[in-house]
Amino acid sequence: MVNNARSGRSSLSLAKRYNFFFYFRHVVLLVWSTIVLFPIFWMISTSFKDSGDWVAWPPNWMPSFLGGGYEPTLHNYRQIFTFTALGEELSREATEQAYSIWGALGDSASIASISSLVALLLGTFLAYSISRFNVGGKNFRYIILTIRMVPPIVIAIPIVMYYAVLIPHATETLFQFRFSLYDSYVGLGLLYTATTLPFVIWMMLSFIDEVPYTLEHAARIMGSSRIYTLRRVVIPLVAPGMVVTFLFIFILNWSEFLLALTLTQPKVSTMPVLLNKFQSAVEGRLYGPQAAIGTVITIPVVILGVLIQKHLITGFSFGTIRK
Amino acid sequence: MACPPAAPDNSRRPTKRKSLSSWLEQEKIFRLIPFVLVEGFFLLLLAIPFILTVYISLLKWRANRPFERAYFDGFGSYINVLTTEDFWWALGRTFYFAGAAVILELLLGFFLAMLVYRQFRGRRLYITIFLIPMMVVPVVAGYNFSMIYVDSGPLNQVLSPFLEMFGIDPRVRWLSHPIAAQWAVILADVWQWTSLTFLIFLSGFSALPQQLTNAARVLGASRWQIFWWIHLPLLRPAIIIAVVIRSMEALKIFDQAVLLTFGGPGTATETIAFFLWRQVWMFNKYSFGAAASVLLLIIFSFFIFYGIHLLVRERAVVKEG
Repeated sequence: MVNNARSGRSSLSLAKRYNFFFYFRHVVLLVWSTIVLFPIFWMISTSFKDSGDWVAWPPNWMPSFLGGGYEPTLHNYRQIFTFTALGEELSREATEQAYSIWGALGDSASIASISSLVALLLGTFLAYSISRFNVGGKNFRYIILTIRMVPPIVIAIPIVMYYAVLIPHATETLFQFRFSLYDSYVGLGLLYTATTLPFVIWMMLSFIDEVPYTLEHAARIMGSSRIYTLRRVVIPLVAPGMVVTFLFIFILNWSEFLLALTLTQPKVSTMPVLLNKFQSAVEGRLYGPQAAIGTVITIPVVILGVLIQKHLITGFSFGTIRK
Repeated sequence: MACPPAAPDNSRRPTKRKSLSSWLEQEKIFRLIPFVLVEGFFLLLLAIPFILTVYISLLKWRANRPFERAYFDGFGSYINVLTTEDFWWALGRTFYFAGAAVILELLLGFFLAMLVYRQFRGRRLYITIFLIPMMVVPVVAGYNFSMIYVDSGPLNQVLSPFLEMFGIDPRVRWLSHPIAAQWAVILADVWQWTSLTFLIFLSGFSALPQQLTNAARVLGASRWQIFWWIHLPLLRPAIIIAVVIRSMEALKIFDQAVLLTFGGPGTATETIAFFLWRQVWMFNKYSFGAAASVLLLIIFSFFIFYGIHLLVRERAVVKEG
């Protein structure tokens, strides 16, 4: 209707303009979709290729049953999912060895989930306190972001010295026993909690700010205690937000690389660190097993992400965008 | 002054058994519990190590020697860092990477969000696809791109008709050329994080009030005028957020550089994080690393506080309306 009024001024007819814009938009969006999906497609297809096809020239795009040039194989997956004890029958050649990922998968999952949970609980509590009582002053919610903004390498160097030098030294002189957080689940988990807390506080603030204060007020007047109010009134209302926040910081912790690389060797190792080990393997790059590992750690996270996608928009408004 | 009588304060008469919980119930105590917990946690985990770092940066210590043999060296390590040319090159390169990546991400993200924010068929599918890179583990993204840039990879295959036209062997080794390797790292970053700027702009676009646009249309404003005078000013908070968040994250760039090029060829893709990692974990220069972290924190804190200042100002504007 509005366009009708304006189309008189334009030399193109309304239908043509509409058509042009329609095609233009879809072409641009399709091009970007291709760019976005291609690396993922390539990783998945490489994970099904045998060692000769990894870097063949010209590259093979499609498996043989779709008319392409490579025989799909599950060999890479068999290599990474073997338990090391079972790997003896595999030959000594690098492309045939077993690379068990179970240890790293377990480490990654446990560290990421537990530290995310701790960060979520602490952060939600603090976000509630900031939202309702203005704890820490008007700009505290911004000051907390500084922790997130410091580059992790600047944190990593002090932490290594703290974990590997100061804490063992201190415990040895005080309690006569050596205790080190270096290369331990707790050490890395604590750090993950600290680095994701700012995001929890930010995202939870945007959810808690939307809960009307009158509800809590009513509960308080009826004689419920503060903790009870928090547990029975506020938490149920922001529970979806908590789930989204948890999944988001879980993704962050799951994919964290630098801190894991610097703070854990060789006992604890997370999936990104394991993937990196292949990259610098002396036998040359093992693209196939790497692609299989990449697929295994990416697909679950992408599915989680697609599930929370709708809520990410609220969480990422960072409180400055008006509804 | 006729104040209404204050409500009887129940918390004043606790039974002996419940005195602790009622003490915690007081507002002035309760509001501080999470604050004290979190701040104490940060103090223990981040502040103490930092003081330790300052101390170590004043020593002369390499980790292949025992700590007891370290000796006091004053500002020697600092001078050492400041006179190391590679430190400044790595720092400059980091800003160059971050600047190029963030500008591209902002333009692309804005453009894509502009195309997608109105309702049309297939919109949800596009949004879902565009947000996927954000969920991909950065190390995996780096790996994927190393697979694409490899000399017999799909990129060279797609380009081969053009390359053969000029008589070049189509198997170009992109990651062995300094400038191509730098752009490989930048483009991997753009691939991954355009999704975040897209998300921020999309939430900005969806929050635009429809009435203003309609009013302007009725008054005869052109599309361009509506965009420039109405939409852009209203999107300012989103733009500021995207700039601040993305620049801060882009300055940390490390994963892609390690996975794609391992700093090479030479030092062409050595970012500051990678440089320091190599100094400390491969050359064991602990005092050097400590001094460099302190210096970096000082340099970065200017940017961080400027970024925070921008966010606070935007917030104030939004609150006033």
